[in-house]
Amino acid sequence: MDVLLQQLINALSLGGIYAMLALGLAIVFSIVRLINFAHGEIMTFGGYGIFLSMAFGLPPLAALTVGIGAALVMALSMERVAFRAMRGADVVSLLITSFAVSEILKVLFQNGISARPVPISFPSSWSGAYQIGGMTIGVAPTVSILVTLISLATLTLVLRRTATGMAMRAAAEDFEMLRMLGVKADRVVAVSFAISGLLAGVAAVIWTAQRGSVDPLMGFFPVLKAFIATVLGGLGSLGGAVQGGFVVGALEVLTQAFLPDSLAPYRDAIVLSAVIAVLLVRPDGLSPTKTGARS
Amino acid sequence: MKTKTILMATTIAAIGGTAFAEDYVIGVMSAQSGYLAPYDGPAYAGFKFCIDEMNAAGGLNGTTPVKLIVKDTRSDIALGVQVVQEMLDDGAQFIVSSADADPTIAAAQITAADMIPTMTFAGTAPVLTQVGPHVFGSYPADNQQATVLAGYARDQGFERVWLVKSPDSAYTLGGPEYFGEAFSALGGTVVGESNFSLNQPDFSAIVTTIQNADPAPDVIVTWAWEPDFPAFIRALRGAGLDTQVMGGDALDTPTVRGLGDVVAGVAHSSGGFPDEGSAYADFVDRFTAATGTAPDNNYYVNGCDIAHMIEQAVAAAGTTDPAAVSEAMAGIENGQGIMSNFTFAETDRMPLRDVVVVTITADGQKRFAKRETADPAILPQP
Repeated sequence: MDVLLQQLINALSLGGIYAMLALGLAIVFSIVRLINFAHGEIMTFGGYGIFLSMAFGLPPLAALTVGIGAALVMALSMERVAFRAMRGADVVSLLITSFAVSEILKVLFQNGISARPVPISFPSSWSGAYQIGGMTIGVAPTVSILVTLISLATLTLVLRRTATGMAMRAAAEDFEMLRMLGVKADRVVAVSFAISGLLAGVAAVIWTAQRGSVDPLMGFFPVLKAFIATVLGGLGSLGGAVQGGFVVGALEVLTQAFLPDSLAPYRDAIVLSAVIAVLLVRPDGLSPTKTGARS
Repeated sequence: MKTKTILMATTIAAIGGTAFAEDYVIGVMSAQSGYLAPYDGPAYAGFKFCIDEMNAAGGLNGTTPVKLIVKDTRSDIALGVQVVQEMLDDGAQFIVSSADADPTIAAAQITAADMIPTMTFAGTAPVLTQVGPHVFGSYPADNQQATVLAGYARDQGFERVWLVKSPDSAYTLGGPEYFGEAFSALGGTVVGESNFSLNQPDFSAIVTTIQNADPAPDVIVTWAWEPDFPAFIRALRGAGLDTQVMGGDALDTPTVRGLGDVVAGVAHSSGGFPDEGSAYADFVDRFTAATGTAPDNNYYVNGCDIAHMIEQAVAAAGTTDPAAVSEAMAGIENGQGIMSNFTFAETDRMPLRDVVVVTITADGQKRFAKRETADPAILPQP
């Protein structure tokens, strides 16, 4: 029982990261119909922000703040430089643009910083653990879960209680109507990218704290999983993206923990098969939007 | 008649001289990005440094200048195959392949038709030479490393090992399995195994499984590389487990040593150690003076040793004919290297070389622990 509880904590920790990344993807998609495959590079840029800050002698907490700020700046720059000119383009053009941005940034990271992973050495106290009953729980997964929950709760408040948040939710429902009502489109889109960047920055902080290194491909794999999560949750559905993130995280951890060794090489295939099975039953995802695109 | 003889002799000498003074073309697969970059980059730097030194002295053995064709593979096996074909089309007579078994095996399929000798920068899975008699390793193979590391683990009193391996590559799968075999032969016990995927996002599930294992292991062995090893060791220490961790030569990078407290005490196998006054230490000084970069792992010096292996094979063959060079390379016994001497004779072309075990200190340095040649009596067979 203790083992199951510990693995559930692991699942929450990983699922939380996927949920934040998936939410970042979903917010942008819901407003500008862009599946941003360069979202992983926003996360990677945040990781490099942490690395460079620490290399220049900033204390760890300040470096983490810089990392989140770097991701925010990258997301806004991406919107301004690459995607604003493509506003109104069809989904395929936007998708190809995002691939191009992703590749350009990867090459810049490889040649401008390093093709090799660079280490991030956090204080040893961040690697500690504590006991509850018979369970040993790590500080890092605990902080990860708390930060995820706080981030998601704050975002929910912003989306539900502020004028900007309501404008964003309205834009997700019907962007053209919102513009006809006089709301500035550029502002809404920029805020969506900013939130997406902030979430990627927080994910980068947790990811680097848990993994200890940054490399040009750091963001690629988790964002791939996050994309699966957004499809599972229902493309464009914010709540669905969060649900999808936690489901994918839980599936990954639980199959890793409890699949017999002989089936271990098929773990990713089993997880993806489970996702396909869900989509066969619910083609629009777990929690589709009313006007959402079919997954 | 005398004049004719002199003319003929001069002509033959001139033809011979011209033939021997032709460039020896070596094609180099070097991943400048992706998962092989931490290994191919340093290996190529060391290789080029020593080839440049040789060319400054007239080329291989002072007579055969070397021309390098270098192509980036981006750690992509399909691209690697393509660049090998391009290099062969450009006249490559020897191929130095990326530092892993899988791209080397792919390259060797292309070079097999013309029996072009193919040597990996630092691929250590012993299966890689099974493609054909033209394929060679350069670094001590995984089974040699695992045997010496298992002996070190037993010397330290460890009795129960947990193996963390990945079926995604011959290296990450084979190393721990060889260790388990040698460790068992020395009286230890394998108490459990976990599988991971390359670039696995999260290792917490594996760590929790180890944490709750009964009996608990007293040593964990993995051949994981970057970025998986940093993620694994942080997850392990983050869960409060301070079990001894050991690994293969892929841990010999500044990134791993730069992880701080979490890697203090980690032991790993490697190919050499720059003892004071050794040829290796001299290489470090020369390389640093020439390039301004201090070699921070063994792949630099192993790259240099590959240049020496080629030079000695060409000397032994007496020609640059690819098949003859392959045959001569396979017959080298106690060849002179800088990291260590090497023997290909009576092996499966993975050279028999010294294995060094080092531990990582809290301040990110390597500390020498042991140097030994693997005991053939317990050497696991591929």
